[in-house]
Amino acid sequence: MSTRESAPGSTGGADVPGPLHGGPDDDYTPEQLATLSREELDLLGARYDDVQVLHVDPGPEPGSSVERQAVRQVALTFGLAGLAAFAAFVIYVGSGWFLPDWQWTITEGGWSAIFTPMIGALGGLALILVGVGMVVYTKKLLPHETAVQDKHDGSHFDRVTTGATLVGGLHNSGLARRKLITRSLVFMGGGVGLMLLMPLGGLIRNPNTGNPLGTTSWGEGVRLLRDDGSPIRPGDQQPGSLETVFPEVPGGNRESDAATMLIRLRPEQVQVDRPRTGQEEFGYGDYVAYSKICTHAGCPVSLYEQETSRILCPCHQSQFDVTQGAKPVFGPATRPLPQLPITVDDEGFFVARSDYIEAVGPTYWNRERI
Amino acid sequence: MSTTNPQSDAPSDEGAPRGLRRWSRRPADGSPAAAARARRRSKHRRRVANVAGLMAALVLTGTLYSALSPAQATEESGATESSAEAAGRELYERSCITCHGENLEGVPTRGPSLIGVGEAAVYFQVHTGRMPLVRQEAQAPDKPAVFSDEEIDQLMAYVQANGGGPTLPSGDLREGDLTEGGELFRLNCASCHNFVGEGGALSSGKRAPSLEDANDLEIYTAMLSGPENMPVFGDNQLTPEEKRAIVNYVQTIKAQADPGGAGIGRIGPVAEGVVIWVVGVAALLFGIFWMGSKA
Amino acid sequence: MARTATAPGVPTTPLGKAALEVDDRLIVAGPLRRTLNKVFPDHWSFLLGEIALYSFVVLLLSGTYLTFFFDASMREVVYEGTYAPLRGAEMSAAYESTLYISFDVRGGLFMRQLHHWAALLFVASIVVHLTRIFFTGAFRRPRETNWLIGVALLVLSFAMGFTGYSMPDDLLSGTGLRIVSAIILAIPVVGTWVHWAVFNGDYVGEFIVGRMYIVHVLIVPAIILALIALHLLILVKQKHTQFPGPGRTEHNVVGNRLFPAFAGKAGGLFFIVFGVCAALGGLVQINPVWLWGPYNPAQVSAASQPDWYVMFLDGSTRLFPAWDINLPGNYTIPALFWPTLVLPGILFTLLALYPMIERKLTRDTASHHLLQRPRDVPVRTSLGMMAVTFYVVLMISGGNDVISEKFDISLNAMTWVGRIGLVILPPIVYVLTYRICLGLQKHDREVLEHGLETGVIRRLPHGEFIEVHQPLGPVDEHGHGELAYGGAPVPKRMNQVGGARRAIRGFFKPIEEPAQVELEQRRDEHGLAAAESRELTTSGRPSDGGRPQEPRD
Repeated sequence: MSTRESAPGSTGGADVPGPLHGGPDDDYTPEQLATLSREELDLLGARYDDVQVLHVDPGPEPGSSVERQAVRQVALTFGLAGLAAFAAFVIYVGSGWFLPDWQWTITEGGWSAIFTPMIGALGGLALILVGVGMVVYTKKLLPHETAVQDKHDGSHFDRVTTGATLVGGLHNSGLARRKLITRSLVFMGGGVGLMLLMPLGGLIRNPNTGNPLGTTSWGEGVRLLRDDGSPIRPGDQQPGSLETVFPEVPGGNRESDAATMLIRLRPEQVQVDRPRTGQEEFGYGDYVAYSKICTHAGCPVSLYEQETSRILCPCHQSQFDVTQGAKPVFGPATRPLPQLPITVDDEGFFVARSDYIEAVGPTYWNRERI
Repeated sequence: MSTTNPQSDAPSDEGAPRGLRRWSRRPADGSPAAAARARRRSKHRRRVANVAGLMAALVLTGTLYSALSPAQATEESGATESSAEAAGRELYERSCITCHGENLEGVPTRGPSLIGVGEAAVYFQVHTGRMPLVRQEAQAPDKPAVFSDEEIDQLMAYVQANGGGPTLPSGDLREGDLTEGGELFRLNCASCHNFVGEGGALSSGKRAPSLEDANDLEIYTAMLSGPENMPVFGDNQLTPEEKRAIVNYVQTIKAQADPGGAGIGRIGPVAEGVVIWVVGVAALLFGIFWMGSKA
Repeated sequence: MARTATAPGVPTTPLGKAALEVDDRLIVAGPLRRTLNKVFPDHWSFLLGEIALYSFVVLLLSGTYLTFFFDASMREVVYEGTYAPLRGAEMSAAYESTLYISFDVRGGLFMRQLHHWAALLFVASIVVHLTRIFFTGAFRRPRETNWLIGVALLVLSFAMGFTGYSMPDDLLSGTGLRIVSAIILAIPVVGTWVHWAVFNGDYVGEFIVGRMYIVHVLIVPAIILALIALHLLILVKQKHTQFPGPGRTEHNVVGNRLFPAFAGKAGGLFFIVFGVCAALGGLVQINPVWLWGPYNPAQVSAASQPDWYVMFLDGSTRLFPAWDINLPGNYTIPALFWPTLVLPGILFTLLALYPMIERKLTRDTASHHLLQRPRDVPVRTSLGMMAVTFYVVLMISGGNDVISEKFDISLNAMTWVGRIGLVILPPIVYVLTYRICLGLQKHDREVLEHGLETGVIRRLPHGEFIEVHQPLGPVDEHGHGELAYGGAPVPKRMNQVGGARRAIRGFFKPIEEPAQVELEQRRDEHGLAAAESRELTTSGRPSDGGRPQEPRD
C-alpha cells in the first residue's frame, strides 16, 4: 500500500478497523466473545433473533447401540440411493451401447418399452431414498431442540418516524400547493401510460370484416369430398351411415368450421323425418347434411346412433336428433346443427346448393344479426 | 339394399384438390389373398380359412342375390339348400326365430329383419355373443359366444342364402397402411370408441364397446354391417383397403406396449387425475406424516 | 492485515477465513443468522405448501429441458420420425416436436412425463395447502395478503396447466382449445373482439401455439416466481402460525430452528417430492399424445376431458341447462358464458374475498397467530365442506362419460345426477358437517369435565354400575374437571396420557422394545431430558396435546 495520499479519493483508505455495526458489537467485544463456547455463542445469537432454545434433546449417545443402528440405517439408505442412481445412469448411457437400444419400436414389450419405466423407477427411487436418508438422519441422529421465537407486532416508533419522512418529503416537494404541476402530472401520466400500452393495439383485429364467423367455404356447386379428396355419389353410402365431408376448396379438410356430416337415413328414419321449417328441401333423397361443429362449444359432434337417430357431442353430451332437423334434445346445446343444402351435379356427385344459411359453430353475441 | 351398388360407382382419382393425401380406391375383390400371410392370429386365421372355403361355394349365389330382390331369393332358395344351410336353418329355428321371424322378416318390437344384413352381420352378432339375446335392454351386451365356430358358419350360410347381404372378407385383414388407418380411425371411429378403441358412453345407457377383445374379423364385419346404433360403413364409403387399414391400426395399437409405463387405461385425464390424488398426493401426505412424527 | 493477526476470535481455518472475506464484502452474517434461527412449527400440515414449492422447482427444471426441443409452431409438416403409426401423417411442428421429445430424445419421454406429473402435483398440493389454510383459519388477520397471493397463484397455476397441455397440439388438447375458443366467443359484447385478439383471427389460425408458449415459459412463470417470492417473504416477516398447545401463545412460535433440524427435513422433502414425480414420470404414462393423434378440427374422441383441475369447469358446462338469453336487438348471451366464465369468476372471487367476508360477518378484526381446530369453527368448516362438495360434484361431472362407460350407468342419468346433486348435496353436507363439529366439540368438553373413560366398570353398593373416569386435571367438589378447553386436542384414550405402559411412539408401530424404553427412563432419571419437556408440555407428549394450557390471551 502506497504512502502517498495526495490524489483525491486515496485518503481514508487506510486499512484500520472502523466501527462495526453498533448494537451487539458494542455489548460484546471480540475478547468477550472469544471466551464463550460455541454452544453459548449459538444461543447468544439466537437470543438476539428473539429465539429461546427451551430444551435440547441430544441425539443418541455416541457409540450407543441406538446410534449405531441409526447410522447403519442412514448409511444404507444413502448407499441404496447411490446404487439406484448409478443404475439409472448406466441404463441411460448404456442403452444402445452395451445394452439394447432405447429407441422405440412397435413392440409388445422389450427393452425400448421398459427404458423409460426403468429410468423413472431407479431415478425416482434414488431421489426418494436421498430424501428419506436426510429425514432419518434429522430425526434419529440430530439433537431435537424446542425453540420459541417471539413475534413482534409493528413498531409504533417505526411507523411514526417513517411516516414523518414520507410526509416530509411530499411536503417539501410542494406538490400539494403546486396544483399546476399536479395536473400536468396527471395528464402526463395518462398520456405516457396510454402510449406505453399502445402497441397492444396490434393485437386488435376486426372480427366483423367479411363475416368470417358467419360464412364457410361451402357455396353453390361446391362438391362434397371425403377426407381423402374423393367426391361422393348418392349410391356410395348405406342407409344408416355417416360420412364426414369437406368442401372442395384448397385446404377444405383442414378448415375449422367446414366439416359436415353427410348422413343417409334408413327408410324408417325417412318416414319420421321432420326437417326444420323452410329447410324441407335441403336434403337429397334420403341424404341429409348437417354441420359437424357443435353449436354449443364447437367440438365435432359425430357420435351418430343410427337406430335412435341421435348425434351426441363427446365434449358436453349435447344430443341432437337428425330426424328433427338436428335439434338439440338433451344437454347444454341450445340451437340445432345448421343444415347444408345439397343436391347432385351433372356428373352425379354431391354438391352444396349454397353455403350454410346460418352461422356454424358456437353462439356469440351478435350471431343473430349477421 | 345392401351392397347392391355396382363397383363401378367407386370414383376415380380425378380432381384431387391441393395437399390432400390420396390413396387409390380399388373395388372390393373376392379373391383370397396369399395364404402365406394368414398366420398371425391362429384362432381367427382358422375362422377366415373356413369362411374362405365357404365363400367359394357361395360366390355365385351371392352375386345372384345381390341382383335379385331379397324377398324373391328367400322363396327360391328352399329347394336347393346345402347341408350347411340346412343345419343353419335348424339352428335358426331353435334360437333366432322368436325375434327375427320365420322368414328373417323380423318381428315388430322384438327383432329387426335379417333380410339384407348378410353373413357379415351374423358373424359379428353371434361371434361376439351379442346374439342370441338374453333379454331386451338398451343395447345387446357382448358375452361369450353361444355357438361354436362351425355352428356360426352354418347360421351364416343360412342367413346369407335366404336374406343376402354383405359377405365376409377374405385374405389378410391387416393388409393396410398403418398411418392411413389411424387417420381414418380418428375421423370415423374415435368419436365413439375413444382414441385407441377403449370405448365410450353414448346417450341413455348405450355405449360404444371397447375394442380390446375384438378380433380382426369382428372389427371388419362391424364396419360392414353397422350393428345396432353403429353407423354402416359400406364398401363404397370405406373401401376394403381402408377397412383393412383401420383393422391394422386398431390391432397394432392394442398390441403395442406403452413406452411411458403403466397405460392406466389409456383414457387420459380422468385416470391421470385419479393417480395424482390416490398415488402422488397420498404418498406425499404419508411422507409428511412420517416426517412430522417423533423419532 | 495487521488487525487480523492479533484480534481475538479471528478465524484460523481456511473455511473461516473465506467466510470472513465474504462477509467483509457482503455483510451477510447478520441476515444469515436471523434466517438460520427462524423457528418453524413442527407439524406435518405446515409442509403442504412446501410440496407445492418443490414441485414448482421440479417444473422449472424439467420445463427448461423440454424447451431445448419443443418447436412452438403450427407449421404443417409430414411426420417422418420413429413412431411408425403416424409416419407420413400431416401434423403441426408443435406436435411433431412433442413426438420427437417422446421418441427420439434419450430420456425425453421421461422428462415430458415428469413435467406433466409435477404439474398435476403442483396444482393438487396448492389445493391441499389451501384447504389446510382455510379450515384452520390461517388466513385471518394479518395474513389476508398472503391468502390473496395464494389464490392468485392457484389461478395462475390453472393458466400454466392449460397452456402447457394445449401446446402439443394433439387431438385431445386441440379439442380443449376449441372449447376455449367457444368460451371466449361467448363473452357478451366483446367476445368476438377478444377472440380475434387472442387467436389473431378466426379459430384456429397459426398464432395460438406460439402465443401460449411464451405465456407458458415466460410470462406466467415469471409472475408465479415473483408471487412465490412475495408469499415467502411475507411468511418470514409475519412468521408462522401454530396450533394452540402448551407454551404456545399469540406472540411466539414454538418449534425447530431452520438449521439444522428443519433444513434437514425440508431438504429431504424436496428430494422426496422430486422422487415421487420422477417415479410417476417413468412408471405411469401420462398424456400419450402419440395415441391421441395430431389435431384436426373435424376429428374428436369420446371422453375428451381436460386435466383434473379444469375438469370442474367441464363439469359445470355439461350440467348447465341450454339457456341462451336473447336480448332485444338480436343480441345473444350464450349459455356457455355462465358455467365457464361467470361461475369460476364467482367461485374465485368468493374464495379470494373469504377472509374479508368472514371478518365482516364475525366482526373478528383481531390479529390471530394461533390456529383453530376445524371443529371449533363449525360454520366455516361446514361452509368449506359445502364448497368442496360443490367442487367435487362438478369435477365428477367433468368425467361423467367415463364413469358412465366404466360403471355402465346411463349418461343422461349421470347428467341429471350431477344437476340435482349440485343443488342438494352441498346443503346436506353443510348440515352433516355442522352436526359432526358440534358432536366433536361436545365430546372434548365432556372429557375435560368428566375425565377419560377408563373401561373400568365398578358396581356401587346400591347395585348401580358406573364406568370409572380418569380426570385430566384438578377437580372441583363435584368431581368435575376444572380445565378449560384451550383449542388444543384433548386426549381421548387412556393410552394417550400414559395410562397403559409407557409407550414411545413410532411411526409404523409403537417402539416398545425394552432396551429403548429403559434407555429413555435412564435418561429421565438423569434429569437430562424430561424435566424441561414436562414443564413445557405438562403431559409429556407435546404432539398429543397433553393437558391444554390455561385460557389463552
